[in-house]
Order: sequence, then C-alpha cells, then structure tokens
Amino acid sequence: MEQTAAFEDDRLKLALNLAVKGDGQAFEDLVREHQGMVFSIAYHFLQDRSLAEDLAQEVFLELFQTLDRIQSPAHLTYWLRRVTANRCIDQGRKKHRRREMALEEAPEPVASSPSADPMLLERLQQGLATLPEKQRLVVIMRFQEGLGPAEIAEVLEMPVNTVKSTLHRSLAELRKGLARKIREVRYAFF
Amino acid sequence: MHFSEDDLREALKRKDPGEGFTQRTMARVNQARVNQAQAEGTAPPATKKVNGKFLAWWTLRPAWTVVVAAVLLLACGIGGYQYSEYRHAEEMRIARAKQQQLQQEAEHARDQAIMALEIARAKLNHVLQHAQLQAEPSDKVRRQRL
Repeated sequence: MEQTAAFEDDRLKLALNLAVKGDGQAFEDLVREHQGMVFSIAYHFLQDRSLAEDLAQEVFLELFQTLDRIQSPAHLTYWLRRVTANRCIDQGRKKHRRREMALEEAPEPVASSPSADPMLLERLQQGLATLPEKQRLVVIMRFQEGLGPAEIAEVLEMPVNTVKSTLHRSLAELRKGLARKIREVRYAFF
Repeated sequence: MHFSEDDLREALKRKDPGEGFTQRTMARVNQARVNQAQAEGTAPPATKKVNGKFLAWWTLRPAWTVVVAAVLLLACGIGGYQYSEYRHAEEMRIARAKQQQLQQEAEHARDQAIMALEIARAKLNHVLQHAQLQAEPSDKVRRQRL
C-alpha cells in the first residue's frame, strides 16, 4: 500500500516536472488526476454541472499559466483546492446564489451508492446548497476532501477555531433544515 | 431523520466530470497556449510605457498610493484646522477693535455731556447773581415808603 502511494507520488512528481517544462501530455495527466477533486468541489458548491465544469476548466487554465510556481504534488493539490474554493466564492457572488436558492429549487442530485438512503442523500445535498458560502466550503473540504480543521484553515485562510465552529454550526443547520423539511412533508401528507 | 458523518461523506462523494472533460480542458489550455504564443510573437518588447512624469503616478504600487492618499488627507485636515483657527482669531481681533472703538466713543460722549452741564451750571449761576443784584435796591425803596 505504501509502495503504491510512493509510486503514485513519484509518478505525479515526474508528470509535474515534465508539465513545467512544457510537456502537454504530462499536463493532461495532471488534469486527469485532479479533475475529479476540482470538479466535485465546484459541483457541490454551485450545484450546477455546467457551471462547475466551466469553473474547473478555468482552474486548470490558471494552473497551466502558473505551473512554474508549483513545487510538489502536495503543493499542487493544495493550490488546486485553494484556487477552486476562491473561484467558487467569486462565482457564487456573481450569481447571487447564496440564500436565494430555496430547497425546492436545488438541482437533482446525482446517483448515489445503493447502500445509502437516496432520499437522505438528496436532502443533504439540498440542505448544503442553502448554507452560506464559507460554511458550504468548510463542509465540502471536510466531508468531500476529508481534510482536518487545520488543513481547511490553511486552504480557506481562516483561523482553525473558526473552522471548527463553522463546521459545528453547519452540521447543526443541516440537521435543523432536514428536520424542518420532514415536518413540512408530514404536514403535506396529513 | 438523522444523518451521520458517513451519510454526509456519501452525499459529498467525488463526482466524475464525465466523458470528454479532459479533452475539453486541454482544448482550452491549448487555445490559451496558442493565443499566448501569438501575443508574444506580435506584441512589442515588454517595456513599460510611461507617459511623462505626471502619468508615472499611476504606476505607483497600491501601498504607495494609499500612503500618498493618507498624507494628502492629513495635510488637508491640518490645513483646514489652521485656516479655521486663523478665521477665529481674526474674528476675535475685529470684535475687540469694535468694542474698543465703542468704548472710546462712549467716553467722548460722557466728557461732552459733563462739559455741557458745567456750561449750563455757570450760566445759571450768572443769571441768579444778576437777578439778586437787581432785586436788592427795589426792596430798600419799598421799605422807605412805608
């Protein structure tokens, strides 16, 4: 397992070095390696597939233009997360999507794994769309990327304690929103 | 309905951007590369054009701009304060001069009034003496007749 990780790291290091020297194929490898992460952050934040794809492409375009400043694969991942988060916030402000999107207006979620409750996952994604920008990003970084509070603080340029409190508040808001939604459904039925 | 952190992880699982994302991204990157190459090929040498000393101001760094703006604001503030102080002092000086002039005029009027009273008193004394002198002989004649 460790050998695989080390091999992977070496492969990325090599691809990064080649891409910095102008190798298009190496840069494509880097894009392929990180596109899932960048696209998913954008998609979970914006809840719009085409906007997320556009944003992800812009992030990779910016990466191509500033590739010589990237020092290592770990730095590349950090850089991509940070730039994607910043662009998400910019995009969110441009579109005035925050708080304006009602739960009902949230887009349909993509297919989930068969083990999880699809209705719950749908409600969670809809609930996430109603959170303020920073809270949404903190939740995405924590539960999509699996980052700890210190790493999130570094990526989003926030104090660690703020990250912790934001995460706590976000989860509470998601729980509250979910409970409210269920009450609404009950009233609708009875 | 409650949810666990695993549910949230599941809901926020990484999504695949779909077929052709890499190709579309690389097409944009290649297009940007071509544009960049064209721009570098046709653009004049990378020298900064400075339109005289006055417009060179715009090339100042933002931090310097802030400093200059702060200094200008401070200078305007101090200038305004000093001007208001000067105006206040000038008004006070004019008021004092006016008061002094009024006081002098009042003293002059008082002196004139005293002098007029002195003249009136002297004249009345003179008339009184004259009247007494005329009255004295007629009294003597009347007594003699009786």
